[in-house]
Amino acid sequence: MSAAIIAEGVGKNYRTIAALKTVSFSVEAGQVLAIIGPNGAGKTTLFKVLTGEVLPSHGTVRFGDVDVSRMPAHARAARGFGRTFQVARVFQNSTALDNVVVAIEARQRTAGNSPARWYQFRASQSVIAEADQALAAIGLADKRDVEARFLSHGDKKRLEMALTLALRPGVLMLDEPTAGMSPTDRNQTVELLTRIRKETGATMLLTEHDMDVVFGLADRVMVLNYGELVAIGTPAEIRANKAVRELYLGEEVDHA
Amino acid sequence: MNAVSGTRTALAIAAGALLLATLPAWTTPAIVFLVGLVLIDSIFALSWNLLFGFTGLTTFGHAAFFAFGSYATGVALKMQAPIHFLLLLVVVALLGALFSALVGAVVLRRTAGIALAILTMALGEILHIIIGYSNVLGREDGISGIPRPVIDLLVAKVDLQAGNSYYWFLCLVCSLVAGALCWLTFGRFGRVLRSIQQDAERTAFLGMNVARYRLASFTIAGGVAALAGALYAPWVQTITPELSDTFRSAQPMLNALLGGAQSFWGPVVGTAVFAVVNFSMRTLPGLAELVVGVILLIIILVAPTGLMGLLGKLAWRMPGKLSPRRALGKLPRCRKKAIP
Repeated sequence: MSAAIIAEGVGKNYRTIAALKTVSFSVEAGQVLAIIGPNGAGKTTLFKVLTGEVLPSHGTVRFGDVDVSRMPAHARAARGFGRTFQVARVFQNSTALDNVVVAIEARQRTAGNSPARWYQFRASQSVIAEADQALAAIGLADKRDVEARFLSHGDKKRLEMALTLALRPGVLMLDEPTAGMSPTDRNQTVELLTRIRKETGATMLLTEHDMDVVFGLADRVMVLNYGELVAIGTPAEIRANKAVRELYLGEEVDHA
Repeated sequence: MNAVSGTRTALAIAAGALLLATLPAWTTPAIVFLVGLVLIDSIFALSWNLLFGFTGLTTFGHAAFFAFGSYATGVALKMQAPIHFLLLLVVVALLGALFSALVGAVVLRRTAGIALAILTMALGEILHIIIGYSNVLGREDGISGIPRPVIDLLVAKVDLQAGNSYYWFLCLVCSLVAGALCWLTFGRFGRVLRSIQQDAERTAFLGMNVARYRLASFTIAGGVAALAGALYAPWVQTITPELSDTFRSAQPMLNALLGGAQSFWGPVVGTAVFAVVNFSMRTLPGLAELVVGVILLIIILVAPTGLMGLLGKLAWRMPGKLSPRRALGKLPRCRKKAIP
């Protein structure tokens, strides 16, 4: 298997503060890597460096064979990085359907194979059909004509996932996919992610606080603290890792 | 949009077109002149609202592009440049778009709200001062006696100086421009713009180059504003540097806010309403400003979505219609969800 993402010595300084020191790791294609660590450990910074929201102060990020270190976020997205946010970001004033339509049209535009003629201003039938299918797949079919701002927190997260999947990304970057969710929603999200993984074979990177989710989904777990990589390995290795237990997991593993 | 509201819109447009086209037959020339101004100001306001309402960019200096178009056309007509009038309009619009693209390439680096507003405001004022110092552009006195041209259509010549022909010409061109903007706003390009307006970062993560789309929108808005200016010069026949000042830039903003910036036709409605207010108060100096101020205050406090938003809310109350919120209420509720 080839590596989907390779980070070599990446770090990010905000003025004199090193939010992320020197971190190197790689994720195999089709794998799920969970990034965990206490607040302020540098998870979000690492995430942003990978997605292109901030450029690294040093080090390189490669996506397959391509060096994307200096590439802006939209160009990375066009190359197959899909990203969801901790607090779901969707187009609030558009209906659920229109949200997905915009994403599908964005994908077609990037690929340069839009089925619509230049003068057609309505979305084409095939795009709408695909959007309906995408909504049905995440269980939002009955809310297709509801504007996103009226949706519940969990539904917005689902809709955001549909937007992201509509891009058919090779890599899914999920920033706390279950943050603020009820236990039922959380289980559904884990099921959804497992299904997506099975169906699309996408590589996934996620940050998460909920250890049930982390150990339920991840092939490998990475632990950060103070901007440094503490450990990376299989869930079993991480559970057994002494440094990690002392630092962060100790209590939860013991009581699990 | 369902079939009924589609038919209703078509009927409204047809009625409006009939009203506009027959206007000279049943009103005074003074009113025809004012309606001509409303037509020009409407597309000026629409072009500003493409940025504000549909791209999420607030600019305070849109008059700079209008003045650019006015002066370019005014000088060309005054010097009787040997160029076909229709071609002149196209060239001025393209030059306005180029000017706008150059400005946009610089100012859009600082899109963080207030900075963009101040930079564009400065642009308008700078142009105002430059015109005031330029001999060719008539300094503070501006250019007067701009002739209305004759259009050679190969088979026939249309003299825009004669009768109401320039008025009908305005009706035609402004409708075409408004239609084109409408098509653009609701088409695929417009969908990307409206996505950027709602959440630029999310749009970037759909793989869209946000900066490029913003620049494209800025360029188009500038080109249309220049075209509005180009139509204005031969209509009023006298242009002054005030065309580029901040008051002039505020006009499309007030029009769009009054009519409703979220609605495509809002700026047109706002322009028309302002014209009616100004016209009915014309004998009482100062009162128009007061009334306009109070109306704006009421609109912002009571109906922040403008007159069109207010109309929309009333329409939802009609029998047989469901508001988006009530439509949601009709959905089956399965369980309560924990929202932190």
